[in-house]
Amino acid sequence: MVETGSAISVAACTIIQIESWPETQAACEADLSRQLGAALPAAAGETVAAAGWLAVRIAPRRFWLIADGGPQVDWNIDPTLGCSLSLSEGRMRLKLSGQQTFNALKGSVAIDWDSPCASPGRALQTGLHHVPVLLLRNGPDACDILVPRSFVRSVIEWLADIAAVSDIQNEIVRRRA
Amino acid sequence: MLRIDCPCCGPRDHDEFRYGGDASVMRPAHDDADFEAWYRYVFVRKNPAGAHREHWQHVLGCRQWLIVERDTRNHSIASVALARNPSGKKPPARKPSQ
Amino acid sequence: MSSNFNRLAEGGRIDRGRPLDFSFDGSSLTGFQGDTLASALLANGVSLVGRSFKYHRPRGIFSAGAEEPNALVTLGTGGRREPNLPATMLELADGMIAESQNRWPSLAFDVQSLNSLFAPFLSAGFYYKTFMGPTRRAWMFYEHFIRKAAGLGKAGLEPDPDRYEVRHAFADVAIVGGGPAGLSAVRAAANAGARVALIEQDFRLGGQLLSERRGSEAAAWLQTVEAELKGFRNVSLMARTTAVGLYDGKVLGLVERRDDPQAAGQALQAFTILRAGAIVFATGAIERPLVFSNNDRPGVMLASAARTYVNRFAVLPGRKAVVATTNDGAWRTAFDLAAAGAQVTVADLRTMLAPALQAEASRLGIAVRAGTHIADLRGGRAVKAARLAGTGAETEVDCDLVCVSGGWSPTAHLASQLGVKPVYREDIDGFVPGPFAAGQFGAGSVVGGYTAAEAIETGHCAGIEAAASCGKTKPVPAALELQSAELSAAAFRNVPAARGKAFVDIQMDVTIGDIALAHREGYESVEHLKRYTTLGMGTDQGKTSNFPALSAMAALRGTTIPETGTTTFRPPYTPVAIGALAGRAVGHHFKPTRRTPLHEWHVANGADMLEVGLWMRPYFYRGAGRDVNEAYVAEMQFVREAAGLMDISTLGKIDIQGPDAATLLDRVYANSFAKLPVGRARYGVMLRDDGIVFDDGTTTRLGEHRFFMTTSTAKAAEVMSWLEFLLDTAWPDLRVAVASVTDEWAAMSVAGPRSRQVLAAAFPALELSNEALPHMGFVEGEFEGRALRIIRLSYSGERAYEVYVGASAGEAAWRRLIEIGEPFGLRPYGVEALGALRVEKGHVAGPEIDGRTTLDDLGLGRMVGKRSGFVGDVLRRRPALGEPNRQRLVGLKCLEAGTRLSGGAILFKQGEARQGHGRGRITSVTYSPTLEGYVGLALLAGDVAVGDEVVAVHTMKNETVRASVVSPVFLDPEGERLHG
Repeated sequence: MVETGSAISVAACTIIQIESWPETQAACEADLSRQLGAALPAAAGETVAAAGWLAVRIAPRRFWLIADGGPQVDWNIDPTLGCSLSLSEGRMRLKLSGQQTFNALKGSVAIDWDSPCASPGRALQTGLHHVPVLLLRNGPDACDILVPRSFVRSVIEWLADIAAVSDIQNEIVRRRA
Repeated sequence: MLRIDCPCCGPRDHDEFRYGGDASVMRPAHDDADFEAWYRYVFVRKNPAGAHREHWQHVLGCRQWLIVERDTRNHSIASVALARNPSGKKPPARKPSQ
Repeated sequence: MSSNFNRLAEGGRIDRGRPLDFSFDGSSLTGFQGDTLASALLANGVSLVGRSFKYHRPRGIFSAGAEEPNALVTLGTGGRREPNLPATMLELADGMIAESQNRWPSLAFDVQSLNSLFAPFLSAGFYYKTFMGPTRRAWMFYEHFIRKAAGLGKAGLEPDPDRYEVRHAFADVAIVGGGPAGLSAVRAAANAGARVALIEQDFRLGGQLLSERRGSEAAAWLQTVEAELKGFRNVSLMARTTAVGLYDGKVLGLVERRDDPQAAGQALQAFTILRAGAIVFATGAIERPLVFSNNDRPGVMLASAARTYVNRFAVLPGRKAVVATTNDGAWRTAFDLAAAGAQVTVADLRTMLAPALQAEASRLGIAVRAGTHIADLRGGRAVKAARLAGTGAETEVDCDLVCVSGGWSPTAHLASQLGVKPVYREDIDGFVPGPFAAGQFGAGSVVGGYTAAEAIETGHCAGIEAAASCGKTKPVPAALELQSAELSAAAFRNVPAARGKAFVDIQMDVTIGDIALAHREGYESVEHLKRYTTLGMGTDQGKTSNFPALSAMAALRGTTIPETGTTTFRPPYTPVAIGALAGRAVGHHFKPTRRTPLHEWHVANGADMLEVGLWMRPYFYRGAGRDVNEAYVAEMQFVREAAGLMDISTLGKIDIQGPDAATLLDRVYANSFAKLPVGRARYGVMLRDDGIVFDDGTTTRLGEHRFFMTTSTAKAAEVMSWLEFLLDTAWPDLRVAVASVTDEWAAMSVAGPRSRQVLAAAFPALELSNEALPHMGFVEGEFEGRALRIIRLSYSGERAYEVYVGASAGEAAWRRLIEIGEPFGLRPYGVEALGALRVEKGHVAGPEIDGRTTLDDLGLGRMVGKRSGFVGDVLRRRPALGEPNRQRLVGLKCLEAGTRLSGGAILFKQGEARQGHGRGRITSVTYSPTLEGYVGLALLAGDVAVGDEVVAVHTMKNETVRASVVSPVFLDPEGERLHG
């Protein structure tokens, strides 16, 4: 890892995907909300943190429950209302932090970081160098990226490369000033 | 670069999407044995110079299939809706003062 | 500095405290911070800077902007070499090393200038007429010499070591052009609350204001506004950045040159894709030259450029100047030259001249000739004298500088790149952008507001409207005003008679004579004129020549200007380095790489890795052979005789759950799945809606309402999208969820006669007997706390099992199998052997499922049985798809020992003429160690029967091989090895 103004860490990621059937969406979500102990996010891209889990609405009838240090839970979904699927092996969580985080991301994803859709607490699904990823904006300088496992090494190498360029650029800016 | 306003994810570059062709053609029921109906659905297209209702899938985002109304002459997009909810059409973000 | 003998003692926006050293064609010269390379060259008295494209005529600096046709230089060496850079656009940097182009041995004496002697034969279209030989080879022969004779700079041949960057940016209002119109727009939009990006190609903001005298009101205005803009938080000022392309969706492509002044010759460029809510085009206008004999001599430049050199760079480009003009604006050049000490003569084509202008001229000692034009210029490597004609007698005036102005052309290029053609306005005798689409606005000279006052007013309004279109409507203070004089002009429409060459496109060496020739030969439309003469096709893209050319053609045709029209504008506005567009997506970053959970093991254990789409897969293992051809045969053998282990993690895997899951499968597969028992797997084939085979795979029933589908590696994404398409658009009521789980599972195949023993030893807790796990059966278990699934199915034709385990435990499971399997003779094998094994068994794969074949073609028609109502069912019954002579799957065996079959060979019947498409083609081939010869799968016309002989012809390999047609299943046709 190049000594830059940003750092990347990699960890496993526990995700449970819950999807409701078209006709039973309301009932399924009510039940899930009860199990979570909190209201579910209303719109795609919104997140709700509860009981050590982060609930993200991924699509109109689809949620990801991402473990955030919470206890192992077996989410119980009534099969007449919907279904659940473990996605805990297929993705890794990259944590980006540091001043260069969003400079690096501006060279990698076409997201308007000043827009309300991208404010802290929001989730964004997009392509990062052609790889489908989920971005979790944690703070002004911090972002988690959930990357499909088979692409992880490639994405890290890409981000490290981009971050190195940002540093060169800041070098130049500093020298010019 | 087309900007497509996905109802779930907001405005995104077209390269986050996969194009799915004409959405105005009627797909016969899965057990419809009418050869003519299938022939028309698969092979016959109006190909208009003007408004075109078409399918796009947001493959790098929410993976929902959408119906987009695009003018084939100038790529101007009149509306975007979820294919599952075509009446919930969303015109491209227009600010209040317009 | 003593070398800067054209440098004025005072003035200019240069920092005389920071001298810079640079070299041009080996000569060491000096300039100052704030110079361009062009201004520094002029300051040093360098008037000869290039040789023209075709005739190699000596050329000098013509302009002060992107429209420069002559002063093209090459910077850098080796992999950093960058040719065709306009010296007028290069910010002078310390240590800059520049070379002129298209001359040998030197600028001063260029051998190819002898081309000019052949000039009458080198007119427009000469390529098409002259270099015609009896065959196409003749052109290929001549082209070699033409390339060497004509040209611009030479590109480097080594890899570029520099880094480039692509960035994604967003703004409410993007404003292209940092002159008075653009700056006013920024001010207004920012005050209204918009997030603003200002894009300016120069390294300084100000546009035409930079050419005003220091201490003028204009200069003060610029200083005030610039300071104000720097105070806005929501404004991004992007200097040194050219907006090269306008794209749909209000997207702009920007190229920023980041030449680091401290690192000479090292250019970092950034390509930014800017997505805007609204765009204001404040791109200004470019001055038009005048067309007359020898109007291309060094020392001839645009009048506004001369003024820029005097006022902005404190350089006097000549001491005896002739200013030839059709309008008031160029008189300012005459005044500023005179004030700087030059002797000036004004030749104005108009007969009626404003008294104020004449008075000022008189005050400054400027000679004035009304109703006069330049007829010819004397001088070769530098202009020496101008012959003036018109009212009164012809006279000759000594001069070393000729400033020309034929009016202005709005810079409508960028705004027109989406196909909205520019529109002619008679009042300005020029083309302005066509009607703006919603969210796009124009301001300043580009919409015909040529004075600073008009620019400021229109810019201010455009800024407010653009911000409002994005919902930003905070109140905006009034525009900061600037007075400017009225400037009148007259349009002249004629084709001047010329004795010498009168250039219209200076860069491409296209003359009035060429345009007349094109007209005579019928190439009248502007698009034909362009291609026939090459006018407008140089690096300057005709920025100074388009209007004079269409004006001349209009005069020849007797049409109006709007009738004649303009050519089509396309990105990029100025040349863009491909490296800038690529950014960091070069080398192994060109596309992302997918690696399986077993990747590191493969690399550490002698696998030769192969790119398969985005995936890396083991091609073969070096333990099995020195190269792929040796290895795959050895790997096939141990799979058939003992056991092999193969990484199949790349297969597409889809989780399908819900009460209607079975219904979905029954509809998408050609064969039935609804009655598949729980715990069983079935091979399935999907058709497209048109009846052609789409993909094959295996689906296992994990439970009443749960299935696990696998697809081919190549089609995984397409199948996933297809299922989602059907659920979202055709069958939205089905209660079923589909999700890609490709990366969730590491997958490996254990295949061979000893496979069961290996598995039983590796996973002793599982019941794996033939009764517990028959062919096409499924068991579940656990491995190191992760889910484990074993499906007994075979691709190779041997008894085989697919082992799926959670990806994080993949490597551990693989190692366990390798270790436990070793005593049984288990070894890993790669994709080459995988493909070879299935060929021996006649299993179809990608080469056979090529988008043209049906189930019947592939011998799979029986899978359907009496079913209907599945995707593709109706159109697969099209009569053409059932024709008897369609190509069907067969096997081929070589008839002669020692011969081989090759994929792609065309098949002919014995005795048939070997022409055309033949009767079929070979799709897959392998050497079979079991059969000790080459076998292949082929698609062959239905009237060629099993037992017949065919000839396989591969023209590129010069192979002609006799083969016999056999069943595609070469081994174990009863499938005995699979069972038991």
